[in-house]
Amino acid sequence: MPASFELKEGTSLPAVKKSIIQDNINLYAKASGDFNPIHIDADYARNTPLGGTVAHGMLILAYISQMMTEAFGHNWLSSGRLNVRFRAPARPGDVITISGSIRQLEKIDGYHIIDCDVLCSNQNDEPVITGNAKVKVKSNENSS
Amino acid sequence: MSDYLKAVEEESVIYRGTGLVPPMAVAALALKALADAISMPPGTVHVSQEFDFMATVNINDVLTSRARVNRVQERGKLHLVNVDINVTNQENRPVLSGKTGFILPVS
Repeated sequence: MPASFELKEGTSLPAVKKSIIQDNINLYAKASGDFNPIHIDADYARNTPLGGTVAHGMLILAYISQMMTEAFGHNWLSSGRLNVRFRAPARPGDVITISGSIRQLEKIDGYHIIDCDVLCSNQNDEPVITGNAKVKVKSNENSS
Repeated sequence: MSDYLKAVEEESVIYRGTGLVPPMAVAALALKALADAISMPPGTVHVSQEFDFMATVNINDVLTSRARVNRVQERGKLHLVNVDINVTNQENRPVLSGKTGFILPVS
């Protein structure tokens, strides 16, 4: 596994920090094909209940996937599971911290099933995304 | 692909020169296909998401995405809609599955 940390319940995963900027939101719209004006049109977004543009939920979710990829490498790409709820929008100017910790560790048929709590929170410690991520890793890939 | 990596500031060495595609890039394309097929009114909110990444995806893979509305609940002025998504590659091998939850205003 790429990241070096102890594989046991309670271990925190290496956190990721991202600044939300409108340029990246615009790029994500282009890359994903999601041009909903709430993400990219400041004039439109100003006149909605959100009051301004917000980042795509899937952009923020991609940051969770990055954290899991850094921690577990190819295993995440081929066996990762995400289950999340979107709690609040992320806006340009926000700083999002993506964190996780190992909630449960099971050993089955030569594999570790690693179940993690994951959280994206903003600079005010408000949750943006909460949920759970699971990955399967061969037992001889343990890092400690 | 390079636009996606730049947009999400993905710097993992796992993608450098390997041809591997980030699983969330596959997911984004699957959701785009869904959004193209189902008209989402203004005020639609994406409230929940599940993904199961079942196999790695490489640049030049040909992916087929299928979506199916599996539940619609009416709660007052809102519809709660759940959609199942499945993505397979050119060998008909599943690479991603997911469940997406939306809240839509009743028009």
